Amino acid sequence: MPDAMLLDRRRDRRATGMAMATDLNEARDRDLMRRIAAGDEDAFRGLFRRYAPTAISLARRVARQPYLAEEIVQEAFLALWRNPEAYDPGRGSVRSWLMGMVHHRAVDAVRREESQRRRAEEAKASDVVVVEDPAEAVVEEVGAPQERETVRAALQGLPAEQRQVIELMYFGGLSQSRIAERLELPLGTVKSRTLLGMRRLRAALVGMER
Amino acid sequence: MRDHERIEELMAARALGGLDASDEEALRREMADHGAGCAECRRLEDGYAETAGRLAFALDPVPVRDGLEEEVLARARTAAPEAQATGERSGARSWLRPLVAVAASVVLFAAGWAAGSLTGDDDPTTEGARVVAFEGEAAGNLAVAFRPDGSGMFLLGSGLEAPPEGKVYEVWMFQEGTPVSATCFTPSAEGTVFTFVDVELGPAEAMAVTVEPASCPGAPTTAPILTADVVA
Repeated sequence: MPDAMLLDRRRDRRATGMAMATDLNEARDRDLMRRIAAGDEDAFRGLFRRYAPTAISLARRVARQPYLAEEIVQEAFLALWRNPEAYDPGRGSVRSWLMGMVHHRAVDAVRREESQRRRAEEAKASDVVVVEDPAEAVVEEVGAPQERETVRAALQGLPAEQRQVIELMYFGGLSQSRIAERLELPLGTVKSRTLLGMRRLRAALVGMER
Repeated sequence: MRDHERIEELMAARALGGLDASDEEALRREMADHGAGCAECRRLEDGYAETAGRLAFALDPVPVRDGLEEEVLARARTAAPEAQATGERSGARSWLRPLVAVAASVVLFAAGWAAGSLTGDDDPTTEGARVVAFEGEAAGNLAVAFRPDGSGMFLLGSGLEAPPEGKVYEVWMFQEGTPVSATCFTPSAEGTVFTFVDVELGPAEAMAVTVEPASCPGAPTTAPILTADVVA
């Protein structure tokens, strides 16, 4: 068999395996959410253990204060516990919904601080993604390492100027106008780079499943 | 068929947390123009929200502090009966009722504050910290926590109603009778706020909250809806 065909088959098998792992994880998450809605504490613990390590990592990255990050994550999980019906399975995955709640709170917190500009200066886009493999104390769920790899690859696949804007916005907690100021770019340029980058990311991350 | 370029641009940026107040307003207008039944709008909104949520997984996970899971669960156990027994989600509450939710936040914030100091973070300790609750006609609970001899304060709240469209809540410190803006905020969708405000409380004798335009003006334009005496 030609090498190219062999590589294609391996790539297909790998993609199929990743999709199955993602589906399995999502099905488990949705089951946990159903149980949480019924007041099942074990299910709540299960979801917390699955996603708190990433949620805290995200909150720390944006808010840049460990204790504040913990509070943000606690608030997000409490909101989930209090109102699990807010999650609509028809609109997306549990993990994205949960990370969205964490991110929203983290951005909200950091925007309220008058020292935000100083913090933003410390947030270098270049240190966002390129990190060696996870901390030893973290137990990864099936599928999570592959997802990490997929998301990082999608980000790395963006043109540098689009990646820079998206990373400053999402991980740095900066608004488009702040980014324009910081990079000394017209606001319209920042907006167009955001849209083009997000279209690519959406195709790479969401398009592969839908 | 409607053009969705503009709304897509705004939704993509919002999913990343990148919109300014003016663009948030622009998005609200666009969504109103397109209508609640706009299927393409919903598809775009869901797609970008899903995309942004996935970006979190580019980060390495971090170990969860021992005890955090139990703390969250303890708070959840406290929260659930309150919501179920009263049916309250964000409705009006009397300020005379105990500040249960705020107190819970304060305790946990204080623990985090102390933990931060122990781990060498550049944060104040809880020693001598004061918690002052606002009073007034508005729904919900709001308090500030600060050290009289320190810099900055935490603003904590729950059960707060969203300000009118295009408005924010602005917190003022009265220093020698003059209102000085401390911060502007909008509660989360669940009616909560928890944020550190990096200001010098200094000689402030009182604080107040007003409803202001999203531009967060430098002087109050409306009467206070909440007030707090800061002087011990």
